Order: sequence, then C-alpha cells, then structure tokens
Amino acid sequence: MCSRVCEAGTVPMLRVLLAAILFLAALPGLAADANEILRKVDRNLEPESYEMYRKLINIEPSGARKEFVLYSVKKGRDQVVALFLSPSSEKGRATLRQGDNMWLYIPSVGKPVRITSLQSVVGGVFNNADILRVDYAVEYNAESAEEDKDGYLLHLKAKTGEVAYDRLKMWVDRKALLPVKIEAYAASGLLIKSLYFKDIKDFGGGIRRPAVVETDSPLYKGHRSIMLYSQLKKRDFPDEVFTLNYLSRVEDLRK
Amino acid sequence: MFIRALAACLVLIAAGAAHAAEDLSFDATEFQKKAVEFGGYVEFKQQHFTLNQDGAIYLLNFYQDPRKTLDQSTLTFKPSGRFRQGDASLVFRAHLEADWETRGSDQTARFDELYASYKPNPGFTLDAGKVSLKWGKGYAWNPVAFVERFKDPNDPELAREGFTMLTADLIRNFEGPLRTVAFTPVVLPAGPDVNPDFGVGTYVNVAAKLYFLYRDTDIDFLFLSDGSRSRRYGADFSRNLTSNLEIHGELARITDTQRQVTTAAGTANLVRGEATSYLIGTRYLTARDTTYILEYYRNGQGFSEDEMKSFVQFVDNAYAQYLATGNDTQLARAASLGRSGYARPNPGRDYLYLRVSQKEPFDILYFTPALTVIANADDRSTSVAPELLYTGITNVELRLRAFFLSGRSGTEFGEKQFSQRFELQARLYF
Repeated sequence: MCSRVCEAGTVPMLRVLLAAILFLAALPGLAADANEILRKVDRNLEPESYEMYRKLINIEPSGARKEFVLYSVKKGRDQVVALFLSPSSEKGRATLRQGDNMWLYIPSVGKPVRITSLQSVVGGVFNNADILRVDYAVEYNAESAEEDKDGYLLHLKAKTGEVAYDRLKMWVDRKALLPVKIEAYAASGLLIKSLYFKDIKDFGGGIRRPAVVETDSPLYKGHRSIMLYSQLKKRDFPDEVFTLNYLSRVEDLRK
Repeated sequence: MFIRALAACLVLIAAGAAHAAEDLSFDATEFQKKAVEFGGYVEFKQQHFTLNQDGAIYLLNFYQDPRKTLDQSTLTFKPSGRFRQGDASLVFRAHLEADWETRGSDQTARFDELYASYKPNPGFTLDAGKVSLKWGKGYAWNPVAFVERFKDPNDPELAREGFTMLTADLIRNFEGPLRTVAFTPVVLPAGPDVNPDFGVGTYVNVAAKLYFLYRDTDIDFLFLSDGSRSRRYGADFSRNLTSNLEIHGELARITDTQRQVTTAAGTANLVRGEATSYLIGTRYLTARDTTYILEYYRNGQGFSEDEMKSFVQFVDNAYAQYLATGNDTQLARAASLGRSGYARPNPGRDYLYLRVSQKEPFDILYFTPALTVIANADDRSTSVAPELLYTGITNVELRLRAFFLSGRSGTEFGEKQFSQRFELQARLYF
C-alpha cells in the first residue's frame, strides 16, 4: 500500500533536496558575484579618490526650494570631506567622515563636533550618510542578487550597526553597472527612502555616471531632495586633509 | 502682534518661492575659488527683560534707578573676509555693535580675528595675529579652554573674540588604530599693550594642544604655562558609542587659583589653592530626530552654596544701609566683588545642562524648536529657555527665545538681575 506512494513521493523529494543542496552550494558564489558587482558599481560611480561639486536642492510640497552647493573630496574607501560654498549662511561649514566617524565644523563655533549618520546638516531628505557617502562595499555586504534581462537587484545588508540603513535594495543597470534605484530600509523593515539615479553624463577622464540623484521618503511625504553633480574629477590628496584640524582650511584645496 | 507679522512674512515668502520653476541644471564654474572673499551677517536683536527686583544682582545694578522692566535693541554687523596670495592669506572677522537700552546706548567696534596665515602644505599651518582658538569637547562649558575668552552657555555657538598670538598646526596621519596626531603650539604675549585682559602682569605665555584620533576616539592633552594665568593642564575626549550616541568629557587641573570670598558682614578673604574642573556629557539622537545634549560641569574655581548665600546677605545688608542712610559705599564694594566673580555667569560649583531640540517637527522643514535648562545643582535654581529657530528662507535665520529664571532666595538664578527675558533675533547673511 505504501510502496507506490513512497516511490512516487521519493523521486520528487530527492529532486527538491538535490536542488536545495545545489542552491545552497551556489549561494556563496552568488553572493561573491553580487559583491563583485557592488565593487564595480562603486568604482563606476566615482574614482576611489576624487574631487567634485554638488548642488543639493530640497523641494517642499508647496514647491518652495532651498539650495546648497558643496565641494567634496574623497580618498580611499572611507575618507570624505565636504565644504559648503553656498548659501552664505552655510558657507565655510565643513563635514568630515572617517569610516563611521563624522564631524561638523561651523566657523562661528570654531571647533568640530561629532555628528551622526542619521542627522542631516542640510535638512530635507538627504542625511549625513547620503551627503558623505563612502563606497557601498565598505558599509554593506551583498547577501544575494537577482538577475533579469535589464540588470541586477542586489540585496545588501549593513556590515555593522553603525551604518545609517540596515538594508538596501539596489537595482543595477546590467550594461553600465550603475545603480538605477536604491531603496533604503531600517532594521525594522521600514522603508526610509528611495534614491533614483538619473541623467548619465560623461564627466571626462573615463568617468561616466548619473549626474542627478533624486530622493523621496515616506517619512517626508511630498518632499523631494535632489543632488546634482558637476566637475567630478580624479584627484589624490594627502591624508592630513581628512583630519579635524584641517576642517577649517578645506577651502585651500580648491584650485 | 510681532509674531503674527513674522508669520505673515514667512507665508508670503514661502508662497513666492513656490512659484519658482524647477531648474535642475548645475554648473560649478560660478563657484570657483576667488583670491578675495567677503561675507558675514547683519543681526538685529530685540530683548525685553522683566527685572527681578528682589535679586542681589538687580540691587547692585539698579539701586539708583529702580525699574520693573528693561528693553534693549542691538544691531550687530559682522563682516569677514579673506585675501589669498599663494600659500599665504590674510583673514579678518570684525564685530561692530550698537546697543540701545532703556537707560542709554553703547557702541562696540573691534576685530574678533585678524591674522596672517601661511599654509605651505596640508600638514602645516602658521597663523600670526588675533586668532580665536576653540579648545575642548563640551557644548556649554569648556574647562580646558585655556587660551579663550568666556563662553556663554546660553549662546555656546556664538563667535567670540580671539587673542593676539603666534600659533601653528602640525598634522600627521597614519594607518592603524592611531589615525591622526596633531600638535598645536601657541605663543601668547600679554601685557598692558597686547592682550591686556588675558591675565595679570607682562608675560610671554606658552600653551599647547596635542590631539590623537585613536581607535575612533578624539583625545586631546592641553597645557598652559605659568604666566598671566596660573599653570594648567588638561585632557579631553569625545567618542561615538553608537551612530546616534556620543559621549565627551574634559578635565582641567589649575595649579593656583584665587577667589575673593566675602562674609555676610562684607569681610573679603583671598582664598588660594589648586582647583580641578571637569565636565562629562553626552549627545543622543532619537529615531524621531530629537537631539538631547546633557552635561554635568564641576567648576573647581566656583563658589559654594554657602559662599553665594553670604554674598547675597552682604548685598542685602548693604542695600538696607543705603535705604536707611543714603550711603552706598558698601553697595559699591559689593558691586566690585560681583564683577570679580559672584556676578559672572555661572559662578557656582556644580551645574547641569540639558538641551532638547526637535528637528523639523510636523514636517515643517528648517524649523527647530528647542528647550534648554541650566541648573545650579547645589542650590537647585534654574534657567529654562524655550526656543524657536527657523532657517527656511535662504540666508535668513530667525530665532525667538524666552528665559525663565527661578530659585529660592540666596540661590544663583533666584538672585539674577532679571527673572524673565524675551528675545527676538533676525540674522541676514551675505
């Protein structure tokens, strides 16, 4: 009585088991590929060391907008400095990031204070982690990847609890290996914000990347923030630039 | 009335901005570095004081002209600029202020900073002139601020006047747990003609700060030689425990302090000795964007609760004598003692500071309400200051604040000159 049922059930069960084993065996490989894709995305977005100018625009539901212009430099995988050039009320403010450490220098205060990745020095939807972004591969592990004809969907998990977003979903264009969209989630699973990468532009020196990053958030209904890129160039800097004592002098780096 | 007018202005400006077309182009060429740069701000501040007619400090300042309230208007112009020539630059930050008060007016004109700077490379800077250094990690107080002017805990972010000095900055970065070492030596001459308010006598004072970024912790060791001020040593630290929680602390050891301590009868004694001041604090950001800053400050040079009470008793006695005889000699003596210590901001020994600020509540961008509480932990008197800050209009900063002081008789905040203060401040940056 049992034999037919058992035989008929055993074969599919073995197949499922085999498939599961193969899938599990393939997982590290997939994750490794996903991490490789992530590293390529990092390098395609920016050289490891660079300087650039950005305009940040916060747009309120009423249409009112506020703009900031920043000069930013980065060295290695996790050292970033950003200097506010405009508006006048923010001019001279500088932010420094060294790995998980972030500081803000306000000229009138005269000394850097520690800030956190979740705060925002400009208000609006972009927070400090967005403005002082380091390589994604420094902060996140790609746990898995999905693939379709247009590109990849990377599932990223923060390496430590210090990282601003616990998980990211990154949609990557297959051909350009550049992000198209990123969704950022808190540890609770709450969607914090979405980032949209638009208007791929040739910046020269082999750098071709989106010139516009737009973000919105269910936490800021009706608000939008936009980051525009200009004069992104590869450039090396001495390590001393990425120190607290240098924050009041970042302006000297500009040519 | 004024608040209504302010709100109407904000609505009009926001409505105007709403009609601006969306422009997403950006060319950084217009932001290229210039050899000459100017900036700064103009500020108008209107203050209304409800005077504390029972307070000792009120009696010292108003015994000849008693009144219930006081109004003060202040116009401040703070231009700043930089001229660059190769590796050298000339930097200035000026302070021009005019005050109109119920009893009269006053003007101030000075350079807060005026110095030449030489920066041959990012690892070395040499500054000569009037420079405002900022040492320490505390938000409201900095016991290790050995070469600075007084910091007002009610306005800790306000730019302050510097001292004339020669100072350098040497920075080195490394791989490994020790990422940065920076050394800041300072030579600060003081005498009748230069830095006369730095301290007593004529000296060439030497100070230094040695900074380390070690295992993600900022650490400073600080020193000031014996001279215009007595020798002092200090250390401070700051560290993020998590991405939203920071802790910091400062410790200062002063080898020789002097305080004029008075009895209730008016007998002043000079008390000398060593003093240790310290501060421990934290900054915490919640998921709802509320920032808490909490600090405890031990002022090793401060007056004890009993010493404060004796001074208040002396003022009361002197005032009673003035009322009875018209002789204000004792009140003048008390005023002199007040200026040397008792009437200065935060003259006590133990303080608590709490500031709670909420970023953009109710989705109102650039709007930050805050509440600041400063408490004398010994006599339990307090200053409570609610505040509204709006920065939504480009280059305009609007701040509305109120201060409510309370405390029993003989306590620090219970004896201040005013019991309430309302302040409106509008700042225009250029």
